[in-house]
Amino acid sequence: MTTSIRRNWWKTGAGVVLTALMLFPVYWMINVSFTRDRDMRASPPHLFPLHGTLEGYRVVLDMQLPYLGTSLLVGLGTAALTVVLAAPAGYALAKLRPAGGTVLSFVLLIAQMIPGIIMAMGFYAIYLNLGVLNTVPGLILADSTIAVPFGVLIFTAFMSGIPQELIQAAVVDGAGRLRTFWSVVLPVSRNSIMTVSLFAFLWAWSDFIFASTLDGGGDYQPITLGIYHYIGNNNQQWNAIMATAVVASIPATVLLVLAQRYIEAGVTAGAVKD
Amino acid sequence: MKTSLGRGRAVCSALVVIVIAAALTACSSSDDTSSNGAGGGTYTIWDPYPQFADDSEWVKLLRRCGTSAGVTVERTGYDTTDLVNKALLAAQQGNSPDVLIVDNPVISTLAEAGVLTTTEENKLDISAMEPNLLGAGQREGKTFGVPIGANTLALYYNKDLLAAAGVDVASIKDWPSLTAALAKVKAAGKKGITFSAIGTEEGTFQFLPWFWGAGAQLTALDSPQAVSALALWTGWLKEGYAPNSVINNTQTTSWQEFATGDYAFGENGTWQLANAKKLSFQYGIIPIPGSSGGTAPAPTGGEFVSIPVQNDSSRYPISRQLVSCLTSQDNLLTTDTTLSYVAPVAAVQDKQVAANAELKVWVDAVKVAKSRTGDNLGTKYPKISEALWNAMQAALSGAKTPQAALTAAQATAAAATK
Amino acid sequence: MNKGTQAPATISVRPRGEAATAASPASPGSSTRGVRGESGRWAAWAFLAPVALYLLAFYAYPLYRNVELSLRSYTVRSFVQGGAPFAGLDNYRTVLADPAFGPAMLHTVAFTVASLAFQFAIGMALAVFFHQHFPLSRTLRALFLVPWLLPMIVSASTWSWMLNSDAGVVNAALDAVGLDPVNWLTSPRWSLTSVIIANVWIGIPFNLVVLYSGLQSIPATMYEAAALDGVTGWQRFWRITFPLLRPVSAITLLLGLIYTLKVFDIIWIMTKGGPSQSSATLATWSYQLGFGSLLPKFGPGAAIGNLLIVIALIFGLIYIRIERRQQLR
Repeated sequence: MTTSIRRNWWKTGAGVVLTALMLFPVYWMINVSFTRDRDMRASPPHLFPLHGTLEGYRVVLDMQLPYLGTSLLVGLGTAALTVVLAAPAGYALAKLRPAGGTVLSFVLLIAQMIPGIIMAMGFYAIYLNLGVLNTVPGLILADSTIAVPFGVLIFTAFMSGIPQELIQAAVVDGAGRLRTFWSVVLPVSRNSIMTVSLFAFLWAWSDFIFASTLDGGGDYQPITLGIYHYIGNNNQQWNAIMATAVVASIPATVLLVLAQRYIEAGVTAGAVKD
Repeated sequence: MKTSLGRGRAVCSALVVIVIAAALTACSSSDDTSSNGAGGGTYTIWDPYPQFADDSEWVKLLRRCGTSAGVTVERTGYDTTDLVNKALLAAQQGNSPDVLIVDNPVISTLAEAGVLTTTEENKLDISAMEPNLLGAGQREGKTFGVPIGANTLALYYNKDLLAAAGVDVASIKDWPSLTAALAKVKAAGKKGITFSAIGTEEGTFQFLPWFWGAGAQLTALDSPQAVSALALWTGWLKEGYAPNSVINNTQTTSWQEFATGDYAFGENGTWQLANAKKLSFQYGIIPIPGSSGGTAPAPTGGEFVSIPVQNDSSRYPISRQLVSCLTSQDNLLTTDTTLSYVAPVAAVQDKQVAANAELKVWVDAVKVAKSRTGDNLGTKYPKISEALWNAMQAALSGAKTPQAALTAAQATAAAATK
Repeated sequence: MNKGTQAPATISVRPRGEAATAASPASPGSSTRGVRGESGRWAAWAFLAPVALYLLAFYAYPLYRNVELSLRSYTVRSFVQGGAPFAGLDNYRTVLADPAFGPAMLHTVAFTVASLAFQFAIGMALAVFFHQHFPLSRTLRALFLVPWLLPMIVSASTWSWMLNSDAGVVNAALDAVGLDPVNWLTSPRWSLTSVIIANVWIGIPFNLVVLYSGLQSIPATMYEAAALDGVTGWQRFWRITFPLLRPVSAITLLLGLIYTLKVFDIIWIMTKGGPSQSSATLATWSYQLGFGSLLPKFGPGAAIGNLLIVIALIFGLIYIRIERRQQLR
């Protein structure tokens, strides 16, 4: 642990370079968001929007904030719902080992294979009959189907690693299974809860298929549909489209950076060594 | 332990604040998509214009029509490529809108699926509509919708660039003269022509003026005329008169290329007129020349207004009122000016030209334009179109020669439309 | 309440020989079973009930619809009005006999293998790199997740712009170094490579996060012991890190496979499967048939979708077989 300061900063430098490489397309997106229509296809392309325009951003900030709010709501709702559904199941598969648990795990793996558009079409019929078409709770429920199978897998993996002594201790103290789960297992699983919430949030945030099919006519639409305001039937306004993406990414990135602390030991058991 | 708990609490409270903020912003969109209107019920309208927000002229028009019919209008704009699927899915579940506005080649698909009512059923009056524009909405002698406006293709050109290259645009009458002009432009160090040859309906749309301009028909994709049309394009690519990106260009990206000012010609449509005003150079428009002179017949674009089938047929009279309101002469003038389309009614076309003389070229082009699903091709057209754009992609990317590509396309199309 | 146990029971290192990973079967003689009895089983199912019902309600119905779509001969009319005739395995036969099937299958294999290989390798390398805890490592790691925030239309479009033959920054860079420009998206030779590159970019964050978490679980004592034995960095990776990461790697690869088989929107937005079907995979073909043309063919589209599910099933079974054998060792 006694590495010289210089070597650590060298690694930081390398890290920054790698991150910059990875995020170059994101930079390009920002670049396009400031580009005028007539420079869009300039050859060779401008690395920097010298004759930039704020037109895209003006349009976006005028109109897209409600969509942003809805997206945030849907994202957080999906994260919460996913955890509520997946955590008990993960606990059961990891610790309680019911008969047929393997089959369920397998089915969960395969359930993720169903193409999104098929799921959306199936839900359309169900939602129409239930009257939850074009509502935000309906969209939250649909988006959770993207994340729940994965969440169960993560929780199972993590909770298998909880030392048995912890649970035995609670049982010895007279706690029922639910109490054990609530008071012992969940607090220890904080890292995996954050991991699953994060994945669920990100998947719900960037989802388009469910939003388009199930909330296409709703009053509250997420940002992935808001972008289509700039994708007209004959003309697309690219700087506005990219500006929407940029504006939409900011709150989500903030949440990401806040939450990343908790992803450290997310998947497996919890000695947070740091 | 204490620090991580404390930090955890901080994150939690941050999250709570964000949730409240989110809820507030979401709710602050007091999105009154249902308008003022009298209490006569709610009628839904779906259109492919997501670019029009609730405060746009288009939506205001829809609501005005609703009020005048005594009902509340709920409008949703969908992405045009998605609207067919949405319409089919909704029809399957009995959730069709009351008025549906879709791109014209799609009408025959929806009509075949039994999603739309005919003018006999909904009693819509189509007498004032131009016959060649109605064609796309007709199938087996029945009319399933009315055009809201028409658009078509022409060649935009860069006046400054052509002047600098010494090309007289009046001399471009047929394909050889056009190719010669492109050669001159390239010799002057600029780029020739840009268009869209993408593997979707847009590509076929852009290719059809050349296809028809050579005298080819959609029922025989491998005729010598058809091959000559495709060879024209592949020749341009090979000589460098057209950029390689045409293979992936949509009409928008093709326009963006033209707008850089590096291209002499750009094949694009009526709807770019508003964007044309923002060009940084002088531009002009010529109709697309036929292979040996004359004007090539261009395909008609533009959307159709239709009335889907409903379980409750007592809704049709009001839907009919809404559609009549939308396609009334005054409203057509407003709508088509907003969309940069040409009106489908002769009287309104005259008014458009009177207000903006530049539109004369377009009005004339639309008069001789052909519908893609006309000639009783109906639902055969999508299959032929797909074979055609595959052939274009194969030939332009060098995978096949134009002859081989089109022969294969004809075989596919014939098999698919048996 | 101690959170920091000394030798944490992790996915890979299990002192009591319990099952290694998430999807592995419950070993019959497992020590945890003993205490509970009948009531244990009911309670377990009580915990599982929400998810089981959820699966039934939300996955079973769409799956059933998909199978039904593939077993009937649907036209646009019968899709809306109902009454499509039963067609047995006709749609499957049509799909398998179609000349486009072979190339689509080939492209799917190439796309999946290349994507997985690169995503995994790069994700692993980055995970190991970021594991070294230098200043800013946490923030940089969080920033690596930003590609995931972007709606697919934005990321795919951005890549399309960057790879444009004339106005793209990649070709401009190639030109600056004196190389010939490449027709990334418009030439049959390069189109598949281009979509693979974009897909790898999108897949790196997932691999990074999961593999990094796996790395976290390897106890430092292992490395300390190795350092005492004089093991170098490279050897350390191959002898200690990589073998201990095997269960996490296995599940990462399996999930990666499932997600990659499903991928269609990146390819669709960038090349539409073209030019001339040169980048068409089974997933894009399925979409094209069912939703991507003016005249949808739902039956064959659904048939291909089901074929993909079967392929994923086969790999899932292989994975379970490998895990079981791993356990018995």
